[in-house]
Amino acid sequence: MTTTLPNPVVVAREESHAKPRSPRQILDWVAIHSIGLAMGLIFAAPVVFVLLTAVMSDDQAFTADLWPREWHWENFIEVFEKAPLVRYLFNSMLYSLLATLGMLLSSIPAAYALAKLKWRGQNVVFLLVIGAMMLPPQVVAVPLYDTWSSLGLTGTLWPLIVPYFLFDAFSIFLLRQFMLTIPQSYVDAARVDGCTEFQALIRIIVPMARPGIAATALFCFLFTWNDYFGPLLYTSEVKDQWTLSLALASFKGMHFVQWNSAMAVTLLAMLPAVVLFVFAQRSFVKGITFTGVKG
Amino acid sequence: MTATLERVDVRRTAPAKGRSRARARNRFTVLAFMAPAIIGFVLFFGYPLIATVIFSFTKYDLINPPEFIGLGNYTFMWGDKLFWTSIENTLWFVVVVTIARTVFALGVASVIARLKSGVGLIRTLCYLPSLAPPVAATLVFFMVLRPNGGPLNKVLDFFGVDSPLWFSDPSWAKPGVTAIMMWVCGDLMIIMLAAILDVPQEQYEAAELDGAGPIRRWWHITLPTISPVLLFGIVNSIILALQLFTQAIVAGSAATGSADPTGSTKNLGYPQNSLLTFPTFLYQTGFRYFDMGYAAAMATVLFVISFAVTIVLVNKMRKSSHAEEGGPGA
Amino acid sequence: MRKTTRAALLCVAAALSLTACAAGKGGGSNSGAAAAPGKDDKITLTVWSNYSDREYEEVTKALNSFKKKYPNIEIKHEGAQDDDKITAGIRSGNPPDVAMSFTTDNIGSFCSTGAFQELKPYIDRDKPPMDQINEAVRSYTEYKGNRCAMPMLTDIYGLYFNTDMLSAAGLTKPPSTISELLDYAKKTTKKAADGSIEVAGFLPTMMFYNNRPQIWAPFFGAEWDKDGKSALASSPGWTEMFKFQKDLVDFYGYDALERFRAGLGQEYSADHAFHQGKIAMMMDGEYRTAFLKAQAPNIKFGTAPFPVLDSKKSELQGVGFTTGTIMGIPKGAKNPGAAWELIKHMTFDKETIVSLANGIKNVPSTKESLSDPNLQVDEQFKTFIDLAKSGKLKGNPVTPIGDAHIKAVGDYATEWQSGKSTDLAAGLKGVDQQIDDQIAKAGK
Repeated sequence: MTTTLPNPVVVAREESHAKPRSPRQILDWVAIHSIGLAMGLIFAAPVVFVLLTAVMSDDQAFTADLWPREWHWENFIEVFEKAPLVRYLFNSMLYSLLATLGMLLSSIPAAYALAKLKWRGQNVVFLLVIGAMMLPPQVVAVPLYDTWSSLGLTGTLWPLIVPYFLFDAFSIFLLRQFMLTIPQSYVDAARVDGCTEFQALIRIIVPMARPGIAATALFCFLFTWNDYFGPLLYTSEVKDQWTLSLALASFKGMHFVQWNSAMAVTLLAMLPAVVLFVFAQRSFVKGITFTGVKG
Repeated sequence: MTATLERVDVRRTAPAKGRSRARARNRFTVLAFMAPAIIGFVLFFGYPLIATVIFSFTKYDLINPPEFIGLGNYTFMWGDKLFWTSIENTLWFVVVVTIARTVFALGVASVIARLKSGVGLIRTLCYLPSLAPPVAATLVFFMVLRPNGGPLNKVLDFFGVDSPLWFSDPSWAKPGVTAIMMWVCGDLMIIMLAAILDVPQEQYEAAELDGAGPIRRWWHITLPTISPVLLFGIVNSIILALQLFTQAIVAGSAATGSADPTGSTKNLGYPQNSLLTFPTFLYQTGFRYFDMGYAAAMATVLFVISFAVTIVLVNKMRKSSHAEEGGPGA
Repeated sequence: MRKTTRAALLCVAAALSLTACAAGKGGGSNSGAAAAPGKDDKITLTVWSNYSDREYEEVTKALNSFKKKYPNIEIKHEGAQDDDKITAGIRSGNPPDVAMSFTTDNIGSFCSTGAFQELKPYIDRDKPPMDQINEAVRSYTEYKGNRCAMPMLTDIYGLYFNTDMLSAAGLTKPPSTISELLDYAKKTTKKAADGSIEVAGFLPTMMFYNNRPQIWAPFFGAEWDKDGKSALASSPGWTEMFKFQKDLVDFYGYDALERFRAGLGQEYSADHAFHQGKIAMMMDGEYRTAFLKAQAPNIKFGTAPFPVLDSKKSELQGVGFTTGTIMGIPKGAKNPGAAWELIKHMTFDKETIVSLANGIKNVPSTKESLSDPNLQVDEQFKTFIDLAKSGKLKGNPVTPIGDAHIKAVGDYATEWQSGKSTDLAAGLKGVDQQIDDQIAKAGK
């Protein structure tokens, strides 16, 4: 179902003007498109498997029998009765949107300082940013959980959201790489014009790095959207605060698993992300690159 | 102009004398821009790191206050068979996953870049798997690779080939997980695709005039131009491989017949500890065996090693891009 | 920059001391029993469990039956809470009043670390009928004499056999000894012309489904420890177990067996090998009877106590493996007195236990409820009730190292069955060493 989403905008943007002319070019065209199609199908096949499992009966799901004997489309309705998915959806949105917003506010200036300003200790700080991604999250969680708990914030999504307003290593790293590619001369020119660094950032760098910023925002959104470990640790005792990714836990018990429901929820959880990607890709696909504006 | 991880040379832009006011202002700006990041870094990285290092010298069962035991955890580590197994496995993943994922994402992106119609659809299809929650993605892959009755097996049967046993066979389990990591490489693929599309058309045209075929153009123009993206992909993949956790746990438990949609930790490492990655062993020690002190020692070792590797890598990238681009630019 | 560093250090120091406080505030006293709640106290008890969906509903219903005794107490039951979450809650001083866990492996740690409060003062005060609880079940809820948990329902493991397959092979009753099991397994196995397996009589593969060292051990009389040391190498039961396993693996051929096994369906799906008629016999718990009836009505099956080692037949007959849900009062619980009343209710109230057992198809954990006429017992389920009554159940060995001992044996078993390890005696000694090292390190 998700595989056939129309995508007119992007298709139109690509180089459709280049129609094949000679027989050799036609052959080329056929070859590369066959490969592309095959690739697309291979990538999509497991997702189709998820869809097929989601509409199977409980007795057929996760068996070697891959084609649904009966089509239980009502599974998609039933999962809403089994778990308060609308509430979870709202929480997921809240988490992902606030985290992304916070990331943008905190990481863009930091990335700018690392990419475009010159200061002592800059390289060490940059290495530390990369290093920060290398501590295993399972261990970091131990002292952090205690801290959030003493602030009385466990059982809410805040311990997951607040850090993004301060520091997100992955985003700073990615944004810095984007900004590095914008020629320094643009920034210097702005300075000569009397811009403060803040103005230079807002007026020059942000517009020029827009594709990079869009991509970073998308990755941040998707990461938080699929985050399982974080919500499990911080909100699992308050069902009202569960995110969509935790909903999977509703379909397993001590001695049973409802595979069809689990897969239906997986698809439902993927859906907003797919829609977001389809619409967001046009703002960055033609421009996420570290080489940015060519001189 | 370049797009590199290179050092911004302070001396090169040494201010003329009498610019101390500007310098002070600059310092203030840096501080203002970095302030949230510095606070966040200290709270969410510095503090846990110090806590972890401190815990690593203690016996800490997660409930009672840590008890100082000196180097006890580190000496135990030396003789711990499982610790070395997990190091070996994670090293394997760091090497293979990094190469496989980067090369594969680059390959897919290169094909998509050459498509003329249906680009949007195929791009979305290729990106789709990386949107799936990791547990679900792993389980789905497990079912697809299933040696008896799985779709891949049916295809292989048609050609009369015996399918490998994947996650049930210690020598195929890691390649199986690598396949999953390749299948969900969508984010990296998208970044590379954008970089390839951004290579200036004139460069290709010029090369074509010189008689360069598509492969030579790809090798001599595309690849060097997008090398900063490749480097990002490598660092990103290394981190992914170092933290390989969910996929290893889910694949292992599914192979013992006890898969569950949230990732059962009943059979960490199955089969024959071939999927016992460093993070899974660390988790097992800290939370299953209630030995957070030892887990912290492992985390410290992992951090020191990976940080050292990062420094080497970043320096190397810096040097190689200097060589390619002729010194620091921009 | 230097100022920043100093500020950062101060922050870290402050944060660390904060944690120390959180870890230090123990909450409820460990010694002495908290008073039972008065009739007028308005209390809300929080209960964390790892149940979900219909099991969650049943357990919530059972928990609410407590309100008949204490109408003033509200119960807030949160499902999908695993052991990690319970530990995090305790550490941070925000635990539930009652924690339920499926992981009896962790009881040693829960008790020895004080994560679950000692229940002895309560038991001394209220003198609940402890002898109602099976000895094995009592053993998996305490560690070195420190009782820190109570049981709520149990799982009991036995033999499942496909009656059609057995009779097709001319076998009329289930195997009762290991050598019979070996013989039956060979007779009920069907191989294709190319040597591949179509139906396996019995899967000897360790770590698959419920083939786990702790579940198998009682039937071979295999002992885990002696005088506080791991004693696998000196307990002949283990050697017998591994020999049986190897005999059967060799009968199938390891490669053929693995190819067959790797294609089998998941334990908790309708594709389970037994549901599909791909294995004739297996080890499983009582809960499987309900699944089989719901998901595979065409499979005719029987249940029996699992076969035991021939040489110890008289001694071991009627033995069974048991595990189950445990309940404890976490350190720092806000209402320990009321929590104990609830736990007592869930462990001993016959009506509640019986209706919960009927609801989620587990075996009740008190002797009187096992014989209760309201307990729904069909022919297949009866085997497990009888095993529970036999008094010869064995539980998980309780250690302070979680399930590290089980993993050590399991790891070795998977190497042994694959033929990678051939020196059994040396292998078992290695396992002993590994377990002893771990326990010495835990030091409890």
